[in-house]
Amino acid sequence: MKNNDKNYEINIVHMYPDLLNLYGDKGNIACMEKRLMWRNIKANVKSCTNKDGSVDFKNTDIIFLGGGSDREQEIVCRMLLEKKDEIRDYVEDGGVLVAVCGGYQLLGKYYKTKDTKIEGLSVLDIYTEAGENRLISNVVLSCDKLSKPIVGFENHAGRTYIGDHTPLGKVVYGNGNTGESGYEGVIYKNVVATYLHGPIFPKNPQLCDYILSCALKKKYEDFSGLAPLDDELENKANEYIVSTFKEN
Amino acid sequence: MRKLLAVWVAKLASVAGKLVGKKSSSTPGVIAMKICPSLISSLKKNITKGVIVTCGTNGKTTTNNLLNTALKKSGYTTICNDLGANMLGGVATTFAMACNIFGKFKADYAVLEVDEASARRVFKYIKPDVMVITNLFRDQLDRYGEIDKTIEFLNEAIDMSDGVKLVLNGDDPLLKQFGDGREAYYFGISEQVLPQVDETKEGRFCAKCGGEQEYNYFHYSQLGDYYCPHCGNKRPDINFPATNVDLSESMKFTVGSDNIDVNYRGFYNIYNILAVYASLNVLGVKTENFNNILSDYKPQIGRMELIKIGNKPCILNLAKNPAGFNQAIQTVLLDKRKKDVIVAINDLANDGRDVSWLWDVDFDKLSEANLNTLTTTGIRLYDISLRFKYADVKVDNITSNMKEAIKKCVENSDSEVCYVLVNYTALFSTQTTMLGLQGEIGGDSDEK
Repeated sequence: MKNNDKNYEINIVHMYPDLLNLYGDKGNIACMEKRLMWRNIKANVKSCTNKDGSVDFKNTDIIFLGGGSDREQEIVCRMLLEKKDEIRDYVEDGGVLVAVCGGYQLLGKYYKTKDTKIEGLSVLDIYTEAGENRLISNVVLSCDKLSKPIVGFENHAGRTYIGDHTPLGKVVYGNGNTGESGYEGVIYKNVVATYLHGPIFPKNPQLCDYILSCALKKKYEDFSGLAPLDDELENKANEYIVSTFKEN
Repeated sequence: MRKLLAVWVAKLASVAGKLVGKKSSSTPGVIAMKICPSLISSLKKNITKGVIVTCGTNGKTTTNNLLNTALKKSGYTTICNDLGANMLGGVATTFAMACNIFGKFKADYAVLEVDEASARRVFKYIKPDVMVITNLFRDQLDRYGEIDKTIEFLNEAIDMSDGVKLVLNGDDPLLKQFGDGREAYYFGISEQVLPQVDETKEGRFCAKCGGEQEYNYFHYSQLGDYYCPHCGNKRPDINFPATNVDLSESMKFTVGSDNIDVNYRGFYNIYNILAVYASLNVLGVKTENFNNILSDYKPQIGRMELIKIGNKPCILNLAKNPAGFNQAIQTVLLDKRKKDVIVAINDLANDGRDVSWLWDVDFDKLSEANLNTLTTTGIRLYDISLRFKYADVKVDNITSNMKEAIKKCVENSDSEVCYVLVNYTALFSTQTTMLGLQGEIGGDSDEK
């Protein structure tokens, strides 16, 4: 089960977990961390917080940006805008960035509600507008890059219009980006952005491993793939969500 | 006449519901309100002294029912939705059931727990004289939305209640905004009791200025002696402070001139007792035999409920959200006996379909709980098992059969006690299963 003894090491930065912590996002961090550790790859997790907002982008391999309440998201947005250029350079250089829910919206040009328009990081050429009702559901996606479906839970008022970007997956069950487009999320360079929490990684080990591989590939030229893990439990949790839709 | 018809139909519906074994007590009221929308408002004149409403994420039912018991023991007549049906329908049921066949009743107090989002709907018909808010934690985000929304709902409800006296948990930074400019009384725990651990906190940021708050000490989640270094906002002066807290054997603390000493489990029960103590004082009800009242109180099912099966003490506890689960785990940790733990997680509509909150619970602490075995069950058994896997806590048994799971633990001679931690929809069926096993194997019950 161990990967190799090449002393691989991955640096993960969790952006503002003190503010963006709405949907069990720390499960995504734990999942990446464990799946690296189980393969003998060292995982260093650092939090960028309200108190200590420094990020060493050059030595960061994975950035995770989660979701928060509207109020907290606005606070984060102000702080992130100060790092706007660095984050864009990081992404354009192939840095791995995972954004969930509110974090996904923040990557776009703006988020427009009835009475305000919040400027985003413009990392992606997308924008979000608040809809009348919230889209709340379990979700199943099919994704070209993975053999198993991606499952998760969505809970968002925003409708995200992704323009020419490639979606993360096609909606099999649930709502997705706008509730109408039939697609969910965005995948761009080494950025994966999605509305799905749950948290998303534990029930989608293939997606987690895809992210980890992207980071390892970028960092180590001799990286030749991840050793397999026993994912029986992960797959059962994944299959359970799919089965609830098949029964109905 | 419509009122009378509504009362009769509600009574009939309640009997019919019981016959088919339904424990919900909101349906009769929903039907009654359809027949007579003014049912509650036309019956409220039967309440002579006052209406007390309890809201808040956790501790509502215990606080409400304990207050009801205390009032009754002090010689007052009450009506109370003590089964926990806390939306408009449940309140209507309570009023309809209180009536005789002529549609009349007499009571000194109405003692009502009301769901935070329903308060503004209930207050259209009946206004509280005293309103207790226990705390606000994140809870079923897919049903209730973010906590800011709940605050909005509560503000709307309080604005509808002219002259209401508020009884608020002064340790919760999210609640102080309700008391500003209103008649408010605060209760709180005024010393450090538990080790200071970092949990996912709600309301980390000052409600006034948005700056990050700090704490002189905190108890759990966001509850504690907080202050904002940026704008000077801080924990209000506490009218009913608990001091000299001692949890080493029973639960002891001092509040006012009273020394509380009861055999309750769970740190959070200090807050529930304080809320009741404060409310009784605000109502002007004398509390001379408060300890006896507390000792006689029979908790609702699944509040650290002891059901002995054979010789094995089994403790059933309901926990619906991260704050509740963390408190349950804290209570399990205080029990040093060798133990089996069963965790059941469902995701039906009343639980919330979204189970991501499991990752906000500090389940990894269970590894220090002197575990004999750990079992996972419920509709989302794989999700909870995964949660344990990534917390490095070994799960011994994953099963969809609760009865077999409990039986195994009862027959297991290596453990001294079995804890069964469940979320909402698993509660009633699990209690039925446990009592059924008790019938088969023997044992007795003694809630507390």
